[in-house]
Amino acid sequence: MQSNQTFADVFKARGVSRRDFLKFCSLTSVYLGLSPSMVPSIVEAMENKPRTPVIWLHGLECTCCSESFIRSSHPSIEDLLFNMISLDYDDLLSAAAGRQLEDQRHRIMKEYKGKYILAVEGNASTKDDGVYCMVGGDSFLNTLKETAADAAAIIAWGSCASFGCVQNAHPNPTGAAPVSDIIKNKPIVKVPGCPPISEVMTGVIAHFHTFGTLPDLDRFGRPKAFYNTRIHDKCYRRAFFDAGMFVPSFDDEATRKGWCLYKMGCKGPTTYNSCSKIQWNGGTSFPIGSGHPCIGCSEPNFWDRGPFYERLAEVPFLGSDSNADKIGVIAVGAAAAGAAAHAAVTAVKKAKSDKHDNNDKA
Amino acid sequence: MGRIIEEIYVWRLPVRLYHWINALCMVVLFATGMYIAAPLLSPPLGEAVWYKGMAWWRYMHFAFAFIFIANFLFRLYWALFGGDKYARFGGFRPWSPSWWGKPFREQVESYLFLRSDEPNYVGHNPVAALAHFLFIFCGSTFMIFSGLAMYGENNPAGFSETLFGWMIPLFGGSYTLHFTHHLGSWMLPIYVIMHLYAVIRHDVVDRTSVTSSIITGYKHKVEEEPV
Repeated sequence: MQSNQTFADVFKARGVSRRDFLKFCSLTSVYLGLSPSMVPSIVEAMENKPRTPVIWLHGLECTCCSESFIRSSHPSIEDLLFNMISLDYDDLLSAAAGRQLEDQRHRIMKEYKGKYILAVEGNASTKDDGVYCMVGGDSFLNTLKETAADAAAIIAWGSCASFGCVQNAHPNPTGAAPVSDIIKNKPIVKVPGCPPISEVMTGVIAHFHTFGTLPDLDRFGRPKAFYNTRIHDKCYRRAFFDAGMFVPSFDDEATRKGWCLYKMGCKGPTTYNSCSKIQWNGGTSFPIGSGHPCIGCSEPNFWDRGPFYERLAEVPFLGSDSNADKIGVIAVGAAAAGAAAHAAVTAVKKAKSDKHDNNDKA
Repeated sequence: MGRIIEEIYVWRLPVRLYHWINALCMVVLFATGMYIAAPLLSPPLGEAVWYKGMAWWRYMHFAFAFIFIANFLFRLYWALFGGDKYARFGGFRPWSPSWWGKPFREQVESYLFLRSDEPNYVGHNPVAALAHFLFIFCGSTFMIFSGLAMYGENNPAGFSETLFGWMIPLFGGSYTLHFTHHLGSWMLPIYVIMHLYAVIRHDVVDRTSVTSSIITGYKHKVEEEPV
């Protein structure tokens, strides 16, 4: 049966040489940030462990995570989908539809109870019993809870499933909530980004498949291997930042020269992701490489963190035009005015009491 | 002018040193911090590798931040173990009615012109103590913790990130922490205005030479002015 094949069996059946298979294992270990001594573990896992069944749910989302996922170049999408992970349910990519597909989900949930990975793309509407996202005749909220109950672990794909993204940006009319707000009793890996980098997505699955455990997570529940450092710290334009050479506007000569986009509102200094390391589309480029400031899409609530093209100092605050510096200046002005008024009253009082004293004397 | 009838040694040398180092650090930190948020200077001509324009401002910010932290820790030590009766925490008991009751109320009334006499304190009066607790103690603590959390960001799993990195999720992300740190820096000019005004006013009204006392250490009591 196909679902009991190991990775190595699949490679063999497809005519991939052992040499290429070992190359793939080495490459995977590099992407996972593992030392070369871990390569044999990966080889062993790929040779002996049956493929991990994956149920991939789609909630309130835009499918950009899937779009990114199917562009994975190491490994390529064909190998990934037909041979590597056993993607048993995915409303986007499955051949079956409707009742047949839902039956398949229930079959996997029963046959691989406690063993399958639940991959969630998008989040669930929680307002009004979740009626704002209905899939297969049931609310996505119910489907998510039902499928999560017997999962070994949950992977929250993208910023939607991890933090909420645009759906739960202010004012969040549908009560959209990230997976971690709904499922509390399962280990969850957050793979944020809008979308996440494809090699990061496949790398997380490969880690779980190899070691049977989730990768090391940071304080936000993101895999440290990919979300440990800021885009800023690995940015190839960092030299321009340190030198103080900034792009002042998009129609400036500095834009053409590829200077730092800090003043154009680049969120690289506050965004944790691998864009400046792994890059996109098989290492072709990434937003800053194309001359656009980072919008911080893998950070919590990035839609509500002010305009994309404004620096921190100009960011609106409390939903109005005011920003940190304006509030500061107003507060300083108020303090100065208060001090001046107090001084005036003190002077008047003193003058009065002096006069009073003089009168007493007289 | 009334004759000086008593000289009191209030601010001992460690306290005065702390005060002036703190003042210098805060001004430098505010200026460099504002520059980092909005780098105004024109870019230099030539290759990026020749220059350290932005890096220099950040370096100054971090260097003075560590002096500021060391100075702050020294002041905490002095307040706890210095045995200095005008510069200790022992007297600051905002939870106790004996502290915020009558003495605090009298001082507030005096500042609001509801009393004609000025309560007389050699060290900090209760309102001043509360202001220092909020701005200098709580304010510095927040700026130091958030600053170290952000300083640790470029070295994950390093000293600073391990000890203070929890500030980042607490404030909902690196971006919001930067924003709050930036907003918090405006405490400084607000505090400086209130501080300088209060000091000068007390000097004029009470004639205790409080302004010069932070240089010389001495406050004076003067004879009631014969009119």
